[in-house]
Amino acid sequence: MNVGAFIRLVVTQATIIRRNTGFWLSSILMAVISMAVFGWLFDFDTQAFDLAVVDEDRTEASQSLVRAFDGLESVELREGERDEEMESLDHGDRSAVVIVPEGFEDELADGSASLVAYYDNSDPIRIGYVTSTVEAVVDDFNTRVAGQRNAVSVERQAVATSNVRYIDFLTPGMVGMTIMWVNLGVGFLLVTWREQGILRRLGVTPLRPGSLIVTQAASYALVSLTQVVIILTMGRLVFDVTVSGSYLWLAVTVALGVMTMLSIGYVIASLLETVTSVNALINLVAFPMIFLGRSYFPLDPPPAVAPLVSAIPLTHLNDALREVVNNGGGLSDLWVSWAILAAWVVGGFGLSMRLFRWQ
Amino acid sequence: MPFAAETPRPATQVAPRTPPAGETGEPVLPRADVVLAIEALTKRYGSLVAVDGISFEVRRGETFGILGPNGAGKTTTLEMIEGLRKPDAGRITLLSLDAVRRRRAVQDRIGVQLQSQALWPELTVEETLKTFRALFKKRVSLETLLERFTLTEKRRSLVRDLSGGQKQRLSVATALVNDPEVVFLDEPTTGLDPQARRSFWDLIHDMSGEGKTVIVTTHYMEEAEALCERVAIMDRGRIMAMDSPRELVRGLDFDNTVECTFAGAVERERLLALPAVRDVKKENGAHLLFTTDVSATLAGLMGLTDGSGERVQSLQVRTATLEDVFISLTGRRLRD
Repeated sequence: MNVGAFIRLVVTQATIIRRNTGFWLSSILMAVISMAVFGWLFDFDTQAFDLAVVDEDRTEASQSLVRAFDGLESVELREGERDEEMESLDHGDRSAVVIVPEGFEDELADGSASLVAYYDNSDPIRIGYVTSTVEAVVDDFNTRVAGQRNAVSVERQAVATSNVRYIDFLTPGMVGMTIMWVNLGVGFLLVTWREQGILRRLGVTPLRPGSLIVTQAASYALVSLTQVVIILTMGRLVFDVTVSGSYLWLAVTVALGVMTMLSIGYVIASLLETVTSVNALINLVAFPMIFLGRSYFPLDPPPAVAPLVSAIPLTHLNDALREVVNNGGGLSDLWVSWAILAAWVVGGFGLSMRLFRWQ
Repeated sequence: MPFAAETPRPATQVAPRTPPAGETGEPVLPRADVVLAIEALTKRYGSLVAVDGISFEVRRGETFGILGPNGAGKTTTLEMIEGLRKPDAGRITLLSLDAVRRRRAVQDRIGVQLQSQALWPELTVEETLKTFRALFKKRVSLETLLERFTLTEKRRSLVRDLSGGQKQRLSVATALVNDPEVVFLDEPTTGLDPQARRSFWDLIHDMSGEGKTVIVTTHYMEEAEALCERVAIMDRGRIMAMDSPRELVRGLDFDNTVECTFAGAVERERLLALPAVRDVKKENGAHLLFTTDVSATLAGLMGLTDGSGERVQSLQVRTATLEDVFISLTGRRLRD
């Protein structure tokens, strides 16, 4: 196939997708509405969280700091021993554990005391709120009790992702979800074409199945990139979600995501005959992927389903997208996700090329 | 080329019946004027033999018809030639190439219209033609296609907004984007109204006039008579007869058919005994008398009913057609 034919087939198929307005609009609307709903209406950031304070100093000064955490509407305060509370933090029962170390009062008298705050960084929904609450309490304590701005400082521990808001977490997830919906839809398109006899018609031309699939992938990639740009632009303009990493790595991740979801769509189209059954199977595949793949919420799967979750391609697409968008990740952070997506692409396309039928 | 369906086509030289060459095992050297050679072609679906070892040849520039009822194996035959299905046995030589092994090389030089129109409803006329053009090495210009199929004014219309006739014209246009040497049309006029069917016949005559070889399947005998220089009559996966329509009809041992119904039962033997009657078949309550002499048979028929109580309820006299050829070969009509 020459370049002219390639471009023509890509343009034709992108045009067909574009004119199926409901198809591409519904997936992007789902993302946009989700961002609006979770970005504005449900503000997870104001819900109460569990905070533990461990007082190892047991002096008047340390007790007055502990009291400063008490009585906050947004904090369920607990006091306990270090080991127990750290274990609770590990289990996700605490959002943060603040340790007031031994010698706190003496240090404070010298003018520079410090606290250690351990945060649960697996909870990106609330981590920003938790850290800022702790710091606000300490700042207040500094001015009110110590009378000196930097009397007590907070040392953060186990905080890899600093100040990730829920909308920051959600936006890459919505990008991943949209890529999934649109590209799984190739299964629907292919079966429609088979039902309408269009595939048979193409089968009596010199067009090879491989050429059809390659041009189809290119046109879906075009459509998906456009959608990604729309979602990220909305995230930037409305919610101030910034892409902290490289746009090149973002594009590579999107392309791999497109190919992965297309290959699954092709396999579905090869296995089933009717438009309705393909539709049903796509939904059956897509909805568990959205939730197990952490498009909306972080998930700490029980060991029994953990292998399933880590086999789901959307998990790795979302991981890679978040790595680029939220953490500014580079190749060393991305290659695992990329490799797993690439494995899906190779397996999926290999299988669908074997199963491909013109009729 | 102006076209009148009534004009009988010039009688063609009938191809000598060559024995199926595949059986001898020798390679067949295609003669220069043979565009398509089919040898012992077979396709089975489970226990059903859809195409049962058929052989035929089509010459360059010929309009060749495959006539038969639904399920006769016409479409399966075409699909094997076009490269959509793999034959279970036999050989297809199309444009001097093995059509199974050199499938894409062959597909680059043929034009195909399938039974379903198979167009993208979301594309415009122009986009549809551009897309199909892109698939072939040789290409007819877009303007030529639009003009020839009177679609110039509709070039920016979406396919879903076209009328049935316009869609049909576009569908044929997509089959001709590569200026094919051989055109395959699978039941092209099924579902068209009589007027659209006539104008479609014009299109086929035009193709033929350009020297293209046209291979068309149909279950309309009048279509085969109007279009085809030669016709293969197919039933249950086999070719029952093959010749020009005129020769096929002439080959019947009768010239006319008298179709009549009676009030009350009439024994077949009494009808067979009528003058000039060669054969009698019963069809949907009507008797078909195949006769070499209409007036003698009719006179006898009147005499038959005078003496007895039987009354003729309806009576119809027809010149023998391809339909009668089919009935005499299979005992059934083309369309039930």
